[in-house]
Amino acid sequence: MKNTSENSASAEPVIQVANIHKSFGVVQALRGISFSLHAGDFLTIFGPNGAGKTTLIKILAGLTRATGGTARVAGFDVSNGDPRLRREIGVIAHATYLYADLSALENLVFYAKMYGLDHPGERAAEAIKEVGLEGRMHDRIGTFSRGMQQRISIARAVIHDPSILFLDEPFTGLDPHGAKVLKQYLHSLHTKKRTLIMTTHDLSCGLEMGDKVAVQVKGRFALFEKKDNLDKGGFEELYFETINNGN
Amino acid sequence: MYLYLNQIKAIVWKDLVTELKTRELFSSMFIFALLVIIIFIFSVDLSIVKANEVGPGVLWVAFLFAGTMGLNRSFMLEKENGCLEGLILTPADRTAIYFGKLISNLIFLMVMEIFILPLFMVFFNVDLIPFLGPLLVVIFIGTLGFCAIGTLLSSLSSNLKTREIMLPILLYPLIVPVMIAVVRMTGQILDGKSLGTMMNWVGLTLAFDIIFIGVSVLTIDHILEE
Repeated sequence: MKNTSENSASAEPVIQVANIHKSFGVVQALRGISFSLHAGDFLTIFGPNGAGKTTLIKILAGLTRATGGTARVAGFDVSNGDPRLRREIGVIAHATYLYADLSALENLVFYAKMYGLDHPGERAAEAIKEVGLEGRMHDRIGTFSRGMQQRISIARAVIHDPSILFLDEPFTGLDPHGAKVLKQYLHSLHTKKRTLIMTTHDLSCGLEMGDKVAVQVKGRFALFEKKDNLDKGGFEELYFETINNGN
Repeated sequence: MYLYLNQIKAIVWKDLVTELKTRELFSSMFIFALLVIIIFIFSVDLSIVKANEVGPGVLWVAFLFAGTMGLNRSFMLEKENGCLEGLILTPADRTAIYFGKLISNLIFLMVMEIFILPLFMVFFNVDLIPFLGPLLVVIFIGTLGFCAIGTLLSSLSSNLKTREIMLPILLYPLIVPVMIAVVRMTGQILDGKSLGTMMNWVGLTLAFDIIFIGVSVLTIDHILEE
């Protein structure tokens, strides 16, 4: 693994991953991933299908346990299932985590109550307004397009104002307008010093948004770099070269 | 504790609002239970067999089959769009998720059972009105035990491809002691006996209710984990 990134020595990392392994029976999904991120970092993870990107996100979010290694997020060991960790993180995945028969407002009020937020109705309406769907807040989620559902899913993920956000291929199925709205929103979160980890197949978009870049191949980081150290014009070539070497 | 109770309340509220909008769960359970009773009515000659003897068994078979259908659907709703993962990502204790789903299931089943009772009275020509109080107590403690273990097992089987088959296979052997007790109690109530004369059956049912809830609280964390 090539790792020339410099960590700022000023603060404790908010995400520390050390030699994480994950196996599903005989299949090794993760084979020793290590990295650390500080508050306000935006890491984009690229990689082919089956590289273990979703598994890594699920471990960091506490949705599944690693079979080896350690991971600490916001100061908590992810394997302990500490509810305080779940207050610090938000997750946007392929699945929207939204109930199709409930309205957008009812969905977010439900999640606001589960997070124990004060004034759940007001907070939910505010979150829907932030993603620009206040005109549809009383409509059933099942009647929304994929892009609109994804925007409500973003509102769900940030309703409790998490300091760390995990995004697993968030642009999948979005039209250009939806993708633009999501990009702007993620940019605003980044400027608010939220820590973000995003997996994507979109090389130009991922490179544009992140300030650190990783390429994951066969359960390992084959590349982990600060974006500033990369030649943006030649990144596509570097990506395919990295994948070929990793295979 | 206040947050814990609010989280349980939020899950129940979410399930009730969903059901009020779709009426999928209630209507399917009600129609299924009704069909079971109708089939039994045509297979039993009530001029030979006393309704008080065969009725309790028919009633609880209808509740059991329709309830299994409801339990299967209950966690399926959480699997759609990955909602269960969304629920697990919230800071809610896993037992709060269990109790929320248990209370929702209990409400749905009790409502279905209350709607079935008048039809049972008509088809079996049995007057339940004088025994309604003790009968509702028996139905409540029986349904609580069924929902307590059924909610746990439906969360377990919801991850399986063969969930519709697995739930009854896992559930029915475990629920046998409760079913025997409630069928016996229902029969005795229809014979005009008071609940006080069958405290051994009441005790047995309540003991299983407590065991089922205890086992669920101890294991739900591991079941929802992966």
